[in-house]
Amino acid sequence: MIPGGELYLLRRGELKESHTLAVARKDGAYSVLEAVLKEGRDPAAVTAEVKDSGLRGRGGAGFPTGLKWTFMPDPEKDKRSRYLAVNADESEPGTCKDRVLLREDPHGLIEGCLLAAYAMRLDAVYVYVRGEYRLPYQRMQAAIDEARAAGLVGERILGSDFSCEVHMHKGAGAYICGEETGMMESLEGKRGHPRPKPPFPAGFGLWGQPTTVNNVESIFNVPFIVERGAAWFRGMGTEASPGNFLCGISGHVERPGVYEVPLGINAKTILQEYAGGVWKGRALKAWIPGGSSTGLLPGELIDTPMDHDSIKAAGSMFGTGAMIILDETACTVRASQVIARFYDHESCGQCSQCREGTQWLSEIFTRLETGRGTAADIDNLERLARNMAPGKTICALADAAAIPTLAVVRHFRDELLAHVEAGGCPLESRPSESRAGEEVPA
Amino acid sequence: MTKTPSTVKITVNGREVEADPTKPLIAACHEQDVDVPMYCYHPGLTPVGSCRICQVEVREGERPPRVVVACRTPVSEGLVVNTEAPAAHEARRNCLEFLLKDHPLDCPICDKAGECTLQDYTYAEGQTTGQSAEPRQNFEKRKSLGDKIVLDQERCILCSRCVRFFEEVTEKPQLTVAGLGSRSRIETFGDRPLEGNYQGNITDLCPVGALTLKQFRFQARVWNLFKKSSTCGECSRGCSISVEVLRLGEVKRIRPRYNPKVNRWWICDTGRLATEDANPEGRVPALQRGYSGLEACEVDAALGAVRAAHQAHERNLLVVSPWSTVEEGRALLQLAKALGAEPLFVSPPASGLADDLLNTGDPCPNRRGLEELGFTPRTTEEVLELLEASETATLFGERVAELVGEEALRALSASQRVFLFDVAPLDAPCVAAFVGLANWVERPGTWVNVDGNPGRIQAARPAPSGIRQPLALVEALRPMEAASR
Repeated sequence: MIPGGELYLLRRGELKESHTLAVARKDGAYSVLEAVLKEGRDPAAVTAEVKDSGLRGRGGAGFPTGLKWTFMPDPEKDKRSRYLAVNADESEPGTCKDRVLLREDPHGLIEGCLLAAYAMRLDAVYVYVRGEYRLPYQRMQAAIDEARAAGLVGERILGSDFSCEVHMHKGAGAYICGEETGMMESLEGKRGHPRPKPPFPAGFGLWGQPTTVNNVESIFNVPFIVERGAAWFRGMGTEASPGNFLCGISGHVERPGVYEVPLGINAKTILQEYAGGVWKGRALKAWIPGGSSTGLLPGELIDTPMDHDSIKAAGSMFGTGAMIILDETACTVRASQVIARFYDHESCGQCSQCREGTQWLSEIFTRLETGRGTAADIDNLERLARNMAPGKTICALADAAAIPTLAVVRHFRDELLAHVEAGGCPLESRPSESRAGEEVPA
Repeated sequence: MTKTPSTVKITVNGREVEADPTKPLIAACHEQDVDVPMYCYHPGLTPVGSCRICQVEVREGERPPRVVVACRTPVSEGLVVNTEAPAAHEARRNCLEFLLKDHPLDCPICDKAGECTLQDYTYAEGQTTGQSAEPRQNFEKRKSLGDKIVLDQERCILCSRCVRFFEEVTEKPQLTVAGLGSRSRIETFGDRPLEGNYQGNITDLCPVGALTLKQFRFQARVWNLFKKSSTCGECSRGCSISVEVLRLGEVKRIRPRYNPKVNRWWICDTGRLATEDANPEGRVPALQRGYSGLEACEVDAALGAVRAAHQAHERNLLVVSPWSTVEEGRALLQLAKALGAEPLFVSPPASGLADDLLNTGDPCPNRRGLEELGFTPRTTEEVLELLEASETATLFGERVAELVGEEALRALSASQRVFLFDVAPLDAPCVAAFVGLANWVERPGTWVNVDGNPGRIQAARPAPSGIRQPLALVEALRPMEAASR
C-alpha cells in the first residue's frame, strides 16, 4: 500500500483490542525492551542508534531526536534527577496523529518511553496528555497500570537493574501548554507560561532537573529503530528526513484521516490516493502542509514532496505534517481570520508583541472579512507579522501567528484586495455580517 | 562562602568595561550609565524577559550581530553590545507600538504622567504615532485592591513586576495574571483585598499608571514635586527615602530610595504613608503659661523662662526624644551635663509592626546613635517616675510628648513644671512653656540605624515662620558658663 515502504507505526493499531497488554504483548510489544535489558546493552549505543537513524522530531520543529538526547548531561558528573517529558498535548489545529497512537497502541508508546529512559538513564517519564483526549488518556493510563502490574513499569523492570516510572498528566485545554517549556511549567502545577531559553530543558527542565521533551510520534519510532537498526529506518523516507510519518489530512477532502506514509511522498499523492482527492470533485485552491501555524500554499504547489526540506523550499514548513485542504469555494481570508483568532485566543500574554499582535492580526482579518478593511490593512498585516517574528518573543507562538499571515499576504494578496473592494467577502453566499459578531469564548 | 565572582570584559557602546557575569547584560549597561529601557525587568526581581522592550544589538566573535533582550542575555567575555544600533531602536519602536495598542493614553489624567517610563520611552524612541484603527480594549478602570491601592487594568502593560514582588520579596503571593493573551489582566487571588505592610512598593514598581496609591491619587502632578533625599524615622531600620514636597509646602509623597545596605528598593507602608505626620497642624513658635492658659509668646521669652527655672532648681530632668539627630544629641549631652541631669532618652514600647523584611518595630529612629553618645534608654514608665520626682523637666525633641505619652502628661498636676520642646504643642496643665521645633523634613542631621548605618535627613522645605532648628535651641538653652566652654 505504501510506495517503497512498510506500515509500522499503525500496524498494531489495526488489531482488535490492540490497546490491551495481552494483545500488544502477543504482537511483540516490549520485546525490544526485553532484549535490550537481557543483553544489558550500553545505553550510549541505544542513543547512538537513534542518532544514526536520523529520526527528526515529529512535534513540528523537526529537530533530530537522537541529537537532542545527547544534550543531556553525563549522569556520572551531574547527579540530579533526569526526566523525559512526552508531549502529548496535541493542540495544533489540523493535527490529530498522536491521538491515534495513544488510543490504539499505548503499549508501543510506553516501550518507547522506557527505551528512551534506558538510553538517557532517566528516573521517570511524564506523559502530558491534552485534556480533551479523554479516551486516549484512559487507554494510556490503563496501559501503564497493566504494564506496572506485569513488572514492565516501575522498580526493577523485568527483573533487571533498570527502574523507571511513567506518570500521566492531563492538560487543561491551553494550546500554549504544548510549547515545551510551557508544558513543563504546567506539569509543575503552574500557569503554562513558556520559559525564556536559555537555559534549555536538558540543563534546566522539569523542576530544574535535566529533561528531554519529545513528541509522542518521535518516541513511538524508537522501539522500531532499536530493533531493526538505523539502516532499516534510513531505507524509508528521504536522506535528510528518514522514516514514515503520520499524516493527518483534513478539510475539503473525500476521506479525511490519519495515514502512515513515508517522508518525501508527494503531497499530491496523499491528497489523491489516500484522502480521495478534493471533495465534491472541486478544484484545489490552497493547502496548509503542517498544521495551522505553517503558512498556506497555493493549490499549484501541491506537487511537492512532504519532507522538511522540500516544504521549506516551497515556502512553508513541514510542521506536524497535518495537511489542511481548502477547495475552490473556500475563502483564504476567512481561513486566516479563523487561524488568527485561534492564536489570539491561545497566546499566553507574556510577550508584548504576541499578546497585542495576535489580537491585532485577528482584528484586521475580521475587519477585512466583514467589509470594514482598507488597502492599508494588507500592508499593515505584513508589517505587524514581521515585527512579531521570528525569534522576537520567548516562544514560537508569535511566529505561529505571523507565518500564516505572511503566507496569505504573499500568495493571496489579490483576494485580500478583493475583500476591500467588495466591502466584504466576495465569496460568501450568505451575508458576511452574520459572522461579524462571533466572539471567541473567553 | 560564595566565591567572589570574577569579572569579564565586555564592550558597551564602544567602551571596554568590566562586567559582573552573575548579572544580566542590562545590569552591566545600567552600571555604565547606558540607558536601556525596561518594563518587566527590575534589578530586585527575577528577570522574565516578557516585555521585550530592552532589545539591544550584540555581537559575539565573528557571528553577525543580532538583536536580543538585554535582561535575559548573560554577559560573556568579549561580548560587544550596541544599545544605539538602528536595529535595536527599530526593535524597541516596534515593541512600543504593540504595548501602546491597547493603552488608553489617558496621560492627562494619569498620576504617573511625568515619571511613566512608557511615556518616556515612547518619546525617546520617537514612536509617537500608532497605526491601530481598532477599538481599545475595555477593562476595569478603577479597581480597588484594598485600602491602599487602586488598579487600572487598562493602563497595565502586564510587566508582572507587582506579581513577582509579592512572590519574591514578601514571599506571600497575592497577585496573579488572570486570563490568557490579550484578555490577560492583573487580579488578586479570589478578588481578595491586598494585605500586608509592603503593598505600596508595587506602585513604585509599576512602570505605568496602573497601580496607584490611594493616598497620592490626584494629589499632585509629579513635576511639581520637590524631591529631597532623606531617611525614614518610623522605625529604627532607617530606610533611605525621598521626601517629595509640593511647592515647598505639604509633603505629598514618601518613596524608597535604593540603599543596598539598608532597604534596597523597598519601604514599608508605615513609612510610606507617614506623610500626614510630616505635615502636623497647629504649629506655633512658642507658648508660655499665663492667666488664661498657654499663650503665644516670643521664643526668646520662653527660652528665658526655661533658663531661669533651670538655674533656680537642683533636680533638673532632661528627657530627649529618640528622633533627635546625632548632632542634636551631642549638644543635648552638653546640656545634660550642665544641668546635672542624667543623659536619657525615652524608649517607648515596640510598635507591634515588626516583620522579617524591614520594619524593626522599634519606634526610635536614632536609638543606636544616642546610645553610642552615652544616652540611656528609659521606658515611658521610668520617664514618668523620674518626671514626678523632678523639680523641672525639659522634654526635648520631635514627638517627645507623643512618645512619653500625651495622656500621661495631661494627667500630671499643674505643680509639675514641664518645658516642652516639640513640633506640635500639647495643652496639658503641667506644661509651663512650649517651644516649637523644626521637624524631620525641615532640618538636616544624622540618625544611626539598628545596624549602625548612618542615615542623613535633610530639609525638604523651610520650617514655618518663626520656628527654629532644635540644634540652635539646645545651644540657646545651655547656661552661659557651659556655653562658653
